This record gives sequence, structure tokens and C-alpha cells, in this order.
Amino acid sequence: MTSAVNENSAVPVLASAEIYPVKSGEAGARPVEFASQPEGIPQGKLSNGVKQEHTLFAEQIYKIGNFPITNSVLNTWLVVLAVVVFGLYFRKKIKLIPGRLQNILEMIFEMLFEVFDSVTGSRQKTLNFFPFVFSFFVFILLNNWLGLLPGIGSIGQVVSEHGEKLFIPFFRGGTADLNTTFALATIGVVASHIFGVIAIGAWSYLNKFINLKALLEIPKKIMKEPTILIVNPIKFFVGILEIIGEFAKVASLSFRLFGNIFAGEVLIASMAAIMAFGLPIPFMFLEIMVGAIQALIFAMLILVYLTMMGTAEHE
Amino acid sequence: MENLIETFHIDWKIFIAQLINFTVVFAVLYWFAFKPLIKIMAERSGKISKSLEEAKLIEEKLSETRAEFEKTISEAKRQAGLILERAAAESDAKKKETVVRAKEEIGAIINQEKQKMQTEKAATLKEIRKEVADLVILTVEKVLGEKMDEKKDREMIKKLMK
Repeated sequence: MTSAVNENSAVPVLASAEIYPVKSGEAGARPVEFASQPEGIPQGKLSNGVKQEHTLFAEQIYKIGNFPITNSVLNTWLVVLAVVVFGLYFRKKIKLIPGRLQNILEMIFEMLFEVFDSVTGSRQKTLNFFPFVFSFFVFILLNNWLGLLPGIGSIGQVVSEHGEKLFIPFFRGGTADLNTTFALATIGVVASHIFGVIAIGAWSYLNKFINLKALLEIPKKIMKEPTILIVNPIKFFVGILEIIGEFAKVASLSFRLFGNIFAGEVLIASMAAIMAFGLPIPFMFLEIMVGAIQALIFAMLILVYLTMMGTAEHE
Repeated sequence: MENLIETFHIDWKIFIAQLINFTVVFAVLYWFAFKPLIKIMAERSGKISKSLEEAKLIEEKLSETRAEFEKTISEAKRQAGLILERAAAESDAKKKETVVRAKEEIGAIINQEKQKMQTEKAATLKEIRKEVADLVILTVEKVLGEKMDEKKDREMIKKLMK
């Protein structure tokens, strides 16, 4: 396929070059390399012989029984703690006459309601989805930004592994771990399916993926319009493609978020390795923006999925 | 798939832990922030629209009251003017009446005095006449030296007096 594209023109080559790294196929193609050298991407050696590296995965800090506590899980717990503390504090502050904090939050809410309305099409739906979708936003945003704090990724312990001294940070951005993003994407997509069943009924929901209705229609309408013999099997097949699409949703959501945040951490670490003073600052700002934008993208996509699943397929 | 899991260290335990983490965040935000906040926002907008309506009503009532007030005031002013006018007229009439009565009284008093004076004058004159008559009689008697009978005397006096 690539050769065919090459023959045609330069533009599709560019397009394919852009698409290619996004494909999870690449991740599948390289593990051989990783399996032999699981330390990960950028490697550096500190002057005292301790190896510092950025692994693709979160590293284990401690183990309680069978449950491994990784540095990403620790960071996520910090986020959960922050949210719980905020929730308990904010609960008492909610008044009919708003204070400053409540005012700011209400302003943000009103703004987001407008944005959500443009996606869902009705205020009632917006209000139904808002808590769920906004929770995604908050959770991801805090995780992204917490990963940028100084000390996260730079405070850690040195362990000996395979005769080498290895530096393992205590904290790592929660979303810089595929487990987290994968869990979030799964919740979002599964919730959209559950909501779909509730909103449009099991039969309509089933027909989105396994289009029995299209097949059952064939004998009824075949006398009136014979083209149905071709159209409806295609519909059926499209429905089956949708099933694959649902898995693609999870994959794209989780890898997009993970990739962006992990890349940001590697980027800042690389810049700090070149020159620790001043140079990482613009990239810090960049990553703050990326963190917010990725959180927003994730939340909006979940909202879109929820809305899409809540509407029945119309003929 | 195996490679994927190995590369990214996907661990079902951590996956589930993160599911729980998100659920906790969602639950906390939902119960402690969204639900009360959205409820209060709806309550507030309801209250605002209600009080706006009430304000309209109050304004209407106020203008109504003001009109009524103005009406009452103007009525009172009119009434007061009327009363003043009437009072002025009344007092004028009374004044005139008093003057007239005073004049009448004065006239009456003057008349009375005149009459009194006249009668007094008449009485005085009568008395003077009588006195003069007596004096004349006395003088005549003295002159004549003798007393005629009364009847003759009188006749004689009468003749003299004429």
C-alpha cells in the first residue's frame, strides 16, 4: 500500500506519514526491541553511575500483598485525595448567595453548559451528562498537571537491578501510565453503551451493531424495492464494523492521552538534560496547555460518544 | 496483544484500582459539588425570576398607589379651596351684617334720644307756660289787688294771653 501511495503523489505520503505513528500497530511492531531492552526510550547515566531512564510503563514502588503500587497509582491517589478534600470543603461553602469560589465554578459551569449544549442539542441532556463528563475533565486535568510539578519524576529511590543501579521516581503523572488512560477510556465507552441501552432500548441498541432489523426487512420489502437485497446486507456489515469501531474508540482515547502526557514528560526531561536552568520553562508552559487541552478533548469525546449512543439510528 | 501488555505493563489490578479511583472522584464530585451546586443554581434562577416578577407587580402597585395618592391630594386641595372660599364669603357677609346692624342700632339710639329730647322740650315748655301763667296771675292779682273769682280770672287771662 505504501508503494502505491508513493507512486501517486507527495501529498498522500505526508498523510500516511502522519497517520502511521498513531496506529497502535507500531506499538505492536516494536516490542521485540523492548523485550530485549525493556528500559525504555531516553536513557541517561548520572555521574554517580546511577541509571536514569524514562520507561513507557509506571514503575513499582511498593507491594501490598498481591497489589503492586506503582508511582502512577500513587499520583492518582494524590489526585483523589485532593478531590475528596476539595469536595468536603466545597460542600459546606455552597450557598444561595455564592462566594468567590462558587462564583468562579458557576461561571465555568455556565460556560461549559453552552459548549455541551452545542454537542448534545438539549439542556436536559447536558445536565444529565455534565457531572460524568466534567469528572473526566477534572480527573485528567489534575493528573496531567500533577505530573508537571517539580519533584514528580525527580524524587525517587535508587534500586539495584540486574547488577545496575536504577533510579526509580516515587511519583509519575497518573495519566502517563497506560493503565490509567485505558481504565478511563473503558469507563467512558462502557458508560456510553449502558446509557445507550437505557436511552433507546435494547432492541435499537442491538441493531446498531448486529443489524437484525435490516436483515428482517429484506423479505418484507423485497417486492417493492429490490435494491434492498444489496443495501441491507451492507447495512448489516456496517453494523459489525461499528463493533470494531467501539474498540478503536477505547484504543484511540487511551493512547492519545497517554502518548501526549508521556511525551510531555520525556520532552521536559530531555530539555532539562540539555540545560537544567531556564530551558524547560517554555516547555513547561506548553505542557500545561497540552494537559488542559487533552483533558478537554477526552471529556468532549466522551460527551460525543454518550450523545451518539443515546440517539437511535434512523433510516 | 501480549506484547502490548508487556510493553505498557498493563496490570489488571492497577487497571481496576484506577477504575475505583475515577469512581471515587466522580462520586465525590457528584455528591459534594455538582448535585448541590446545580440544585442551588436552579433554585437561584427560579428565585430571581420570581422576584423579578414580584418587582414588576410591586412597581405596578406603586404606580397605582401614586396615582391614587395624587388624586386624593388634588381632591383635598380642591376641597380646601372650596372651604376657604366659603369661609371668606361667610365672613364677608357677617362683616356686612354687623356693620348694618351697628348702623341700625346707632340710628335707633339717635331716634330715641331725639324723641326723648322732644318730649323733654315739650314738657319744659308746658312747665314754662304754666309757670308763666301762674306768674302772670300772681302779677295781675297783685296789680289788680283783688281776687276775682276764678272763672272770671281765667277768662281774663285767656284774653290777655291771646
